[in-house]
Amino acid sequence: MTVAPERLQASFPNAHHGVSADGIPYVLVRPENIAETARAARDELGYVRWVDLTAVDEPDVEPRFELQYLLYSMAERRWLRLKTQTDDKVPSVTGVFPGANWYEREVFDLFGVEFEGHPDLTRIMMPDDWQGHPLRRDYPIGGEAVDFTVTREILGTGGGNELRG
Amino acid sequence: MVLETHRIRNTLHINMGPQHPSTHGVLRVELELDGEVVVSCKPIIGYLHTGIEKTFETMGYLQGLTLTDRMDYLNPMGNNLAYCLSIEKLFECEIPERAIVGRVLLAELTRINSHLVFVGTAGLDLGASSVFLYCLREREKLQDLFEWLSGQRMMTSHIRPGGLASDFEPEWLTACDAFLDEMPKRIDEYESLLTNNPLFKERMIGIGVLSAEDAIAYGVTGPMLRACGVAQDLRKTNPYLGYETYDFDAIVADGGDCYARYKVRVAELRETVKIAKQALKRLPGGPVKTSNRKVMPPPREELGTSMEAVIHHFKLFTEGIRPPAGEAYVPIESPRGELGFYIVSDGSGKPVRVHERAPTFANVQALPLMAEGGLVADLIAVIASIDPVMGEVDR
Repeated sequence: MTVAPERLQASFPNAHHGVSADGIPYVLVRPENIAETARAARDELGYVRWVDLTAVDEPDVEPRFELQYLLYSMAERRWLRLKTQTDDKVPSVTGVFPGANWYEREVFDLFGVEFEGHPDLTRIMMPDDWQGHPLRRDYPIGGEAVDFTVTREILGTGGGNELRG
Repeated sequence: MVLETHRIRNTLHINMGPQHPSTHGVLRVELELDGEVVVSCKPIIGYLHTGIEKTFETMGYLQGLTLTDRMDYLNPMGNNLAYCLSIEKLFECEIPERAIVGRVLLAELTRINSHLVFVGTAGLDLGASSVFLYCLREREKLQDLFEWLSGQRMMTSHIRPGGLASDFEPEWLTACDAFLDEMPKRIDEYESLLTNNPLFKERMIGIGVLSAEDAIAYGVTGPMLRACGVAQDLRKTNPYLGYETYDFDAIVADGGDCYARYKVRVAELRETVKIAKQALKRLPGGPVKTSNRKVMPPPREELGTSMEAVIHHFKLFTEGIRPPAGEAYVPIESPRGELGFYIVSDGSGKPVRVHERAPTFANVQALPLMAEGGLVADLIAVIASIDPVMGEVDR
């Protein structure tokens, strides 16, 4: 499942390479180069199928977000992971892979990473008026009161209950 | 003619869902209609978002397993399997042969389970309500088998990191064999009601066409991609669990329309029965749990005689499974496409990040490509042919 490293090296000379624990090779690029790298991976290396995009948040590390793009080559039957690190924004790859649209919206919604050039960068999972980004490590669990009458009393989140009089 | 030239283009905006019975859960589609024609269509998701990926980070790996059942609830053991494969990849742990073949058997049984619901609900959405009852009849038998095996009908959590939760009983295997023997006959029955039914064909053929190029660029996988004539089945292209040693075909159909997707799934149902039969036949003896004590606890009888076993037992039940630091993504071919869990471990008992690459998420995203320009009634057929499970879209 490993791509010939010299081919990767030739295509992305300035990038950091490696192989993850699962045997999938990765290329770490600067955030401003991610769209070109994705295009090169598709056009020159044949990674044509869009698979996945997600982020990992490490608040103590600078920059805190690591984005993981996953592509698949139909001809060589293997995956390639593109990585980039950012604190706030990266260019969108929707121009290269239209399938990235919802994935970028998801990362924007749950991590707060902005994708420049995205056609419709709105929240996808959470309500439109939601504050904060739940998948950040510093976003608390249970920070949101569940609106049952019992929890209202315990948490003092207000709201009179007419039914109970 | 006069009407035609002076007609003012007046479009109507309506919401379909999120409580529409044909949206298979809580998918909302914002539609712009010109008469009966869909001008634009925007799927809106998130109504079933329960923050499962966040919840993973608060739990141990074994507890997290129970969440995976609840993502794609029609394919619980497939989800268990993908999750366990990623964890086992981090451990590099060996799985006994009986557990591997058993996993193939269980994964294929859940595929039957899932495709039965597809055939039933696709028929139901298009007005063939009797097929639904027949499909659910067989699904009940399958769920009885799951209950017998694991104690649960739907949320089985039976495939565990390191093997299976418990061994198969001989009577269970006999019952399973009897069920599989019966299935081809039943599939003929469903097909006699749908495949050549003129009304069904009228609603499906040429409807919701998706091109292979679009499907690939949008990350569409599974039966939807194979219905576009692309032979992409991870069991063939990137085999896991020794799928390369089983005799079966990756079903491909041409056309990329709703009918092609239906044909792929029905044909896959037959192939799946074939694989499950082969797995039953070759099921070897031996343990179903790995001997790696960092993943699975030692057997009860060892605790009385071995100090080491007591320590492993204590560590496992106080700290949980602790995979070595690293990241792993080991995808499987779920009934809906490429399904994998991207797991990041820092070596502690709780994951840093668990992300599910959900096939339906990408498949639903391609809905506008298939629906726009068609009739609003065809949208029902298109959504049915995606076979969406909103539990894994919204997570």
